[in-house]
Amino acid sequence: MRFPWQRRRDARDAALDEELRAHLAMVVADRIARGESAEDALVAARREFGNVTHVKEVTREAWGGAWIERLMQDLRYAARSLRRSPSFTIVAVVTLALGIGVNSAMFTVMNGIMLQPLPFPDPERVIAVGYNTQDAAYDGMSDHHYVALRDGIAPRLFEHLATYTNANVTLSGDGDPVRIFGAESTTDFFGVFGVRARLGRTFDADARVVVLSDRLWRTRFNADAAIIGRSVGIDSVKRTVIGVMPASFDVPAGADFWIPMTLVTHEGRSWNRAVVARLRRDVPLDQARSLWATAAAGFELEPRKSRSSYTADLIPLKRLIVGDARRPLLVFSGAVAFVLLIACANVANLLLMRFASRDREMAVRAALGAGRRRLIRQLLTEIFVMSAAGAVLGVGIAALGVKLLMTIAPAESMPRIANVHLDGTVLAFTAALVLATTAICGLVPALHATESGLRASLAEGARSVTAGRGRLRSALVIGEIGLALVLLVGAALMLRSFQRMQQVDLGFDGAHRLTTNVSLPADRYRTGAEIKAFHDRVMSDLTRIPGAQEVAAVNWMPFTGMMIDGPTRVDGAPDVDFTTNRLVVTPRYFAAIGQRLLGGREFTGADRESAPRVVIVSKSVADRVAPNGNAVGKRIALSPTPEPEDWRTIVGVVDDVVQNNVTDRRQATVYQPMAQVDFPFFIANIHYVVHTTNDQAAAIRAVIRHADPLLPVEPVRELSDLVQSSMLTPRFQARVLAAFAVLALALAMIGIYGVLAYGVAQRRQEIGVRVALGATARDVRGLVLRQTARLAIVGLALGVVASLAVTRVLSRFLFQITPTDPPTFVGVVLILGGVALAAAYLPARRASRVDPLVALRRD
Amino acid sequence: MAKDPSLSRVELLQGTLDFIILQTLRWGPRHGYGIAQMIRANSNDALQVETGSLYPALHRLAKKKWIAADWEVSENGQRVRVYTLTAAGRKQLVVEQSKWEQLTRAIAGVMRPPFGEDCT
Repeated sequence: MRFPWQRRRDARDAALDEELRAHLAMVVADRIARGESAEDALVAARREFGNVTHVKEVTREAWGGAWIERLMQDLRYAARSLRRSPSFTIVAVVTLALGIGVNSAMFTVMNGIMLQPLPFPDPERVIAVGYNTQDAAYDGMSDHHYVALRDGIAPRLFEHLATYTNANVTLSGDGDPVRIFGAESTTDFFGVFGVRARLGRTFDADARVVVLSDRLWRTRFNADAAIIGRSVGIDSVKRTVIGVMPASFDVPAGADFWIPMTLVTHEGRSWNRAVVARLRRDVPLDQARSLWATAAAGFELEPRKSRSSYTADLIPLKRLIVGDARRPLLVFSGAVAFVLLIACANVANLLLMRFASRDREMAVRAALGAGRRRLIRQLLTEIFVMSAAGAVLGVGIAALGVKLLMTIAPAESMPRIANVHLDGTVLAFTAALVLATTAICGLVPALHATESGLRASLAEGARSVTAGRGRLRSALVIGEIGLALVLLVGAALMLRSFQRMQQVDLGFDGAHRLTTNVSLPADRYRTGAEIKAFHDRVMSDLTRIPGAQEVAAVNWMPFTGMMIDGPTRVDGAPDVDFTTNRLVVTPRYFAAIGQRLLGGREFTGADRESAPRVVIVSKSVADRVAPNGNAVGKRIALSPTPEPEDWRTIVGVVDDVVQNNVTDRRQATVYQPMAQVDFPFFIANIHYVVHTTNDQAAAIRAVIRHADPLLPVEPVRELSDLVQSSMLTPRFQARVLAAFAVLALALAMIGIYGVLAYGVAQRRQEIGVRVALGATARDVRGLVLRQTARLAIVGLALGVVASLAVTRVLSRFLFQITPTDPPTFVGVVLILGGVALAAAYLPARRASRVDPLVALRRD
Repeated sequence: MAKDPSLSRVELLQGTLDFIILQTLRWGPRHGYGIAQMIRANSNDALQVETGSLYPALHRLAKKKWIAADWEVSENGQRVRVYTLTAAGRKQLVVEQSKWEQLTRAIAGVMRPPFGEDCT
């Protein structure tokens, strides 16, 4: 099949041919006219004319576009060449496909999460205003500080400013009540992001309104076009729907609604809220940051926030959203780059082996006049075709890989997950990888294959070339082993760290403890008495469930995310002032949850409303209250300036517990009996815990439904599940890294096997001689294994050195294990060494089977 | 350039050959052989352009649109490709001419004997 440009070229070729023939004919005619004979004229004319082919070639070059011709020729030749050795081609293409595929997959994820800009106009001007702390990248500010900022320097720095807070509410009206997540925000919230409502409008002066997310509108309201103006219940408060946001608007992540916020501006009790703003065009970020820092210096911080660890900062919103996902993604990207390098080393080795068998062909072509550059270009084209084929397969692998990754990744480890998909950027990246792998895999083998010293190999039995190649192959295998070791050590460290997390003593026992959450709406449970009556009713019903050994309740259950803390004072030690967590519990809570009682007693029914005020404290509180003795009987107060009636007597001491993250320290906590707490906020949202040996989730749900059918249904979960759920991200990260490490190990093993097998085949004669001279099968096997051991030892040593430098990167992810943990290193070295020897098994066996007669005859 | 035992090879720059061809075509359209003949004749056999230089130059000049090529039938019924100078080619010729004159002046200046020395 001739393409149009080929047909044009053919026409020009024919025209040139005719032109030159005419020229020749005229020369002949002139010579004949001058008196020469026809034959002499022809011979002399031809000589005068010169080499016709050469003239045609140089003239064709003047046409330009010759490079396309050459390229097509090279491509055709490459395809033919690859078809001739299918097994080599398949192995190389699959290896490259794996290497390129995982890299493209990782890039797709990185692109969607980190590289793509946020879906707002001018996204780099959207920032979070607040503080940078040691523990968190961002901490917000209280409402009265926000007002001070708003009325102070804000107009100089920001076009729009808003504060918001997360909200979990019960949505009612139009169907069963359900808990949904969203935000309360000030009016200018949507202005900060520059996003308008898709339907209706966003906030202005009305307070009793709600804006819905696209997702909620579709799922709950069936994308009803007449949604605007409808009335819904948010925590029993009737609100009018005034707008629906576009699907792309997702701040805070997962929000389904937004309602206007009322600022709480009196001093004293105040929440930490997030503040966002859109920077003015004419103010650079650094300048704004220092202006904000100056203004913040005038704000009074709460006592537990020390100025040294709190730095006023303006943080680009994208960095905040991407947040904790950034580092793991970078680590994974490094890991897949290693995998690609190992794959390239394998392919480079394959190429060296293959080109070795084409020595003769190269030498002949060089002798026929092919320049070295042309030969190299041709070999590189072959490698390019393999790379491209690998990339096409790799894109398929990447698509599957991304889908798999998205399915198993826990939601909190992958922000902006909706943004992750294969697009043009990823394809461009893949194309760049093809060029890179062609260069990495191909340059050295191609240079080696076309060395001018090869002309000598037209003669038989040239061995000096193979020695150089052998060193190169060994070097590549050593490199592979080193890289694989680094990955394996990293993965092993992460896995062991996760194991340590699972073994942490949390201070309580999560097994066989079922827990569920109840949030009593303010309109039907107005007073503390009504709330407590409800809880009493529910708990006495829960005790009647068969198999229920203990039943209790607490407001903020460990590992459910919420916590309140506050200042604590000790009676008799006026200058001792520290912060503790505050929890409200019912009698026998500690028995129910398996928390050890270290001294004193649990709360009982006697600790009533009218009885003297009591508390139970955790160990670290007890140590501060009574460093040398018994804390039971001492008194503490939970307010910074206690009145006489604020003092409470300690009646029991319990273990400290881990409150939210397995990796957190155990925390100082003060427990109050529910009977003695009246403020609805502290007791309306409660977690029941039932210590039971059988699965009574349905029974528990039934009890709650019976007590109040209008409450939204919450799942009943085992406490140990909640704990495990908090570790989803480290588990996921460890597993992903392990998967990459295993892939690297497999590739390295194949590489080792390939090189050894080839080496045995090359050394057949030598082995035959040895056997003929009396070497046993074991001696020959030993030969191969010793060679393997030599390679492995060097590779492992280099790998260990590299790992010591590189695993530092993981230190932030590691829990209770150092990046240079010796047992891990030793273990991995042994495993990898074992794998290397296993890879050598087959070649060693084959070597020991070499028949000396056959080997020596093959000459 | 052609091999004449008595003359040493005169190496011409590629640009100069282009200039000579354009100049030759000034006197009317010609085919490749005719151009070579004319150059040879006008230079008294000093310049014998090899086909390996002539045809690339002709095709190059045609690509630049300084000369145009057409097929014609010669006296003895043979199809030949005839080249004609285009308007653009004529303009280029003027440019080349001045460049050549500049070059010759420069070289002449270098060849001038230095002050006070004799040249034999």
